[in-house]
Amino acid sequence: MRLPDFQYVEPKSTEEACAFLKDHAQESKLIAGGTDLLPSMKQRIFKPKYVVNLCAIAGLDRIEFDERTGLRIGALVRLRSLETDSMIWKHYPMIGQAAEAVGSVQLRQMGTLGGNLSLDTRCYYYNQSDSWRKCRPTCIKMGGETCHAVGGGKKCFAVFSGDLAPTLLALGAKIVLRSAKGERSLSLAEYYSGDGAKPLSIGPEEVLTRVEVPVLPKGAYGSYHKYRIRKSIDFPLAGVGTLIALEEGGKVCREARVVIGAAGMRPEEVKGIGDLLKGKKMTESLIEEASEMAFKMAKPVANAASTPTYRRRMIKILVQRALKQAM
Amino acid sequence: MGKQIAGFTVNGKLYEAMVEPHATLLEVLRDQLDLTGTKHSCGMGICGACTVLVDGQPVLSCLTLAMAVKDKRIVTIEGLCEGNVLHPIQKAFVDHGAIQCGFCTPGMIMSAKALLDKNPVPTREAVRIALAGNLCRCTGYVKIVDAVLDVAEAMGKGED
Repeated sequence: MRLPDFQYVEPKSTEEACAFLKDHAQESKLIAGGTDLLPSMKQRIFKPKYVVNLCAIAGLDRIEFDERTGLRIGALVRLRSLETDSMIWKHYPMIGQAAEAVGSVQLRQMGTLGGNLSLDTRCYYYNQSDSWRKCRPTCIKMGGETCHAVGGGKKCFAVFSGDLAPTLLALGAKIVLRSAKGERSLSLAEYYSGDGAKPLSIGPEEVLTRVEVPVLPKGAYGSYHKYRIRKSIDFPLAGVGTLIALEEGGKVCREARVVIGAAGMRPEEVKGIGDLLKGKKMTESLIEEASEMAFKMAKPVANAASTPTYRRRMIKILVQRALKQAM
Repeated sequence: MGKQIAGFTVNGKLYEAMVEPHATLLEVLRDQLDLTGTKHSCGMGICGACTVLVDGQPVLSCLTLAMAVKDKRIVTIEGLCEGNVLHPIQKAFVDHGAIQCGFCTPGMIMSAKALLDKNPVPTREAVRIALAGNLCRCTGYVKIVDAVLDVAEAMGKGED
């Protein structure tokens, strides 16, 4: 499959990238690993005039940990590096777990943290070739008025399918963005708009440069659980990221954060679970009640493999698996 | 930036090619450098047939822009044999009947090489995880995994 033609831009610094985007953001796409952008370009979903390769910019691929301030991960850190980093497994094993769940070895070797967090939302009717999509009226995500996934749908239901976001959200991660105007910091939750058609809430002239994860509470467990049809390559059909902190002596829950992914247009925290579990000892019936909350909140539609019902039930099961760790 | 001359170090040899910005590494290897061992299968990153090593790491050449790897060390399946002498991994695949149509084989071998370069004594599970990005429609994978495990042993590095 051939890519459409474009002009290749390779800035050597973040300043250079931002200066270029200041004038050309609307006609540009950023590339790092290329594992999301290039397939979409081959399908003619995107035909940018400029493709801006961020990989020549030094210094955005570091993983740094400080016991007092926590973790800083550059946006260009390859998922394979996260997966194989002994410091990550020692202090933030749930991040290693999420990283190793992505794709395949090759996809993790190429794909970056920034790219995975910034994944385009996906839909069976959107991630198709030009000729496939031309057989149907233009869908909402492509600028038309019809949703093929949800009959009569008036908005886009494309699914956020990244594996790193749920766990990083549960850990309270922040992101740092750079543009020609300067630098700003957002909570990772604010990064996601919830709009399937335009999933990221930032401007096209902004570049995600790093992710910051706070120090974990003492005695914290965390995890990422993924449901997919095959044990490799596939995007998640349901994903659950968690952080559970227990009191000293280890049975009473101090804090619980459960975030569901691949069930909607953005990853969502099931806030009720935190309130339900706080101050209580983890029991089978509490886990059932908590997982039922997640089940009620998840509303996948028929735009991915498997079925919405099965994916919803898997959300419930994944939440149970995650919470059982803390029993 | 339009078409330009770019140098590529492939299998230890420096090649020069006129490369357009939208050319993938796979296209340059196959169409311009005549290194057709690397295969174009899905073109989208979900089959692994196009796997090559870039700076020792397995990547999908169908999703790699040629311009992005101009200064890197690329190894393709052609880089493994020495003249007519097969690389031990290639020989193991032949000996084990791990090749049927052969289309997935170059990508499988490159992923296997990347694994064994880092982990000379993999467990069966480690081999399966390392090759999980390479799909095979013919063999059912068992003989492929057997072949890779056999190489580790044959290279004198011991146990399963």
